[in-house]
Amino acid sequence: MTTMESKNGAEDIIICKDVHKWYGQFHALRGVTTTIKKGEVVVVFGPSGSGKSTFIRTINRLEEHQKGQIIVDGIEMTNDVRNIDAIRRDVGMVFQSFNLFPHLSVMRNITLAPTKVRKLPASEAEKIAMELLERVGIPEQAYKYPKELSGGQQQRVAIARALAMQPNIMLFDEPTSALDPEMIKEVLDVMKELAESGMTMIVVSHEMGFAREVANRMMMFDEGVIMEEGTPHQIFNDPQSDRTKLFLSQIL
Amino acid sequence: MSTNANSGPAPVLPPPLLNRGAVGWAHDNLFSSWHNSVLTVVSAVLVVVGLWWGLRWVLVDADWTVISTLGGFLAMGEYNTEKACAGQNCFWRPQVSVMLVMVLVGMAWGIAQGGTARKIAIVATVALVAFAFLPYSFERMGMDVRLLLAANIPAVGVGWALGKYTRLGSIRGVALSGIAVFVLILLLLRGIPGIPGLEPVSVIYWGGMMLNLLLAVVGIVLSLPIGIALALGRRSRLPVVKALCVAFIEVFRGVPLITLLFMSSVLVPLAFPEDFPLNRLFRAGIIITLFSAAYMAENVRGGLQALHPGQAEAGRALGLPSWQTMTFISLPQAIRNVIPAIVGQFISLFKDTTLVTIIGMLDILEFGRAFIQSYTVGGEVIYLDRQEELFIFIALCFWVFTYGMSYVSRKVEKHLGVGER
Repeated sequence: MTTMESKNGAEDIIICKDVHKWYGQFHALRGVTTTIKKGEVVVVFGPSGSGKSTFIRTINRLEEHQKGQIIVDGIEMTNDVRNIDAIRRDVGMVFQSFNLFPHLSVMRNITLAPTKVRKLPASEAEKIAMELLERVGIPEQAYKYPKELSGGQQQRVAIARALAMQPNIMLFDEPTSALDPEMIKEVLDVMKELAESGMTMIVVSHEMGFAREVANRMMMFDEGVIMEEGTPHQIFNDPQSDRTKLFLSQIL
Repeated sequence: MSTNANSGPAPVLPPPLLNRGAVGWAHDNLFSSWHNSVLTVVSAVLVVVGLWWGLRWVLVDADWTVISTLGGFLAMGEYNTEKACAGQNCFWRPQVSVMLVMVLVGMAWGIAQGGTARKIAIVATVALVAFAFLPYSFERMGMDVRLLLAANIPAVGVGWALGKYTRLGSIRGVALSGIAVFVLILLLLRGIPGIPGLEPVSVIYWGGMMLNLLLAVVGIVLSLPIGIALALGRRSRLPVVKALCVAFIEVFRGVPLITLLFMSSVLVPLAFPEDFPLNRLFRAGIIITLFSAAYMAENVRGGLQALHPGQAEAGRALGLPSWQTMTFISLPQAIRNVIPAIVGQFISLFKDTTLVTIIGMLDILEFGRAFIQSYTVGGEVIYLDRQEELFIFIALCFWVFTYGMSYVSRKVEKHLGVGER
């Protein structure tokens, strides 16, 4: 409760009003309304096909919503390409399958967007990249290629790559689901450090230990809507909906 | 129940020794069973007999004078005949063109500092210089021709120095030099009116391997970028662009190249102003390029299709505009993945240049064929029964270049690490 209240004074950084999304006939998001404040860490969970990934992908427009309103950092998501590019520069994303660029070195993976989009000089971009690699704990891998790294290292590079654009918001789409068990912790540790630094984070994940420890708020998605949301304490100890109870009993 | 835990790590053992020597290898691979033994013996007999016949024909029965008689014609067609070039002193222009190309090869060597570029530079130089020592009389092959061939050694050297020590020693430097060299070669071959020694030579006399190579280089250099543009257009979300690209690709892929070449005399002039100086060479170049570009587009599209959608998503999520995502992320990977198909298309294009004979251009193949039927000494056609020698030689000429392309592509693939991601 206290963590949630402490964010009450902060400004709203993501506002979703009645967001709908269809894939053909399939109604994937059926009216999602929520507000996320600056510095909040939100863990999104729910059964597969519940729309949780689709939801966070609408926030940087990797998926287009067809009805409703999404406002990110004061910019409304419309078809205007300039708005979309502006929002994407401001929102970092980490994927389940890392999606590092295999033809580029780790260093180039990280510096590509800052040099091309933010027009940083190469030397400055490399300096920032090196700092980020140190932050995620793998500076010695800078000049290797992604395929030479373990899954956990690749995901940490992916986090560094997203951070290199100095985003205000970070989206994580099941960041540890493709990792071997012994590598999950190294990625979660980086995410934990990031959360402590005050980054606004939305994390789709079933890592309940991480959620309990780090999240300010949890959202249970089911059939395209937020079935239930609350602090980790509320969700774990006093879930209101039967769907949430059932789902938690299956994964815990 | 007791657990079965090891007290320490398992010992590391060397792999079992499988090498049983030459006899063992032969037993395992050639004589492992009675039918395998029979196959081995039969194959061995066939190989030996084939080699015996082949070598005897090459060394004893064949009369290679047809090649030496044709020599210069196979290389450059009628370019250096009296009707094309008064005084027959134009042979140096194609030869200098070759030297310019060798400067480029030398530059690649100077930049790469060894490896494939060095190997190609050395092999090409040695081959060219070897021609200078062909045991013909000086009447058939003059001292000037031989000296110009030998001059390829300094040409490569100059290129090497340029590549290593000057600002041209970069990918961009070589690319710009390549364009400059190409323009220079065209000017050199075409000639410039009014300049002594550079009297114009009409393109209808350009022929032989020179013609095949010119068309192939133009086609290869232009068809890849055009093909990429078509592939992107075909994937475009703009319906008009997409429809145009699909239509172009399907039309040019769906019609035989010969038909297109026939039609070129009608269609290509339509696209240019009435008084635009269009010649057959130009038209053939355009048609071959567009034909090849249509195939190239589908190769590149296949490569793009095969990419994990997460790659482009990651680019877009980083805020890269879609054209930058395409340029820096999708295309490099897509093209790398389809290098074998692209090089296959290059090779096919090179061989297809022989088809220009049907619009009256005398490439190496057509020149040889026509020559054999018309070359007379004292009213007698003397080389009619020497087709084998001629066509085997021409086949070898093509093979040398196509093998070179496939060799380079293998090296490039290896360098880029295709297949080991």
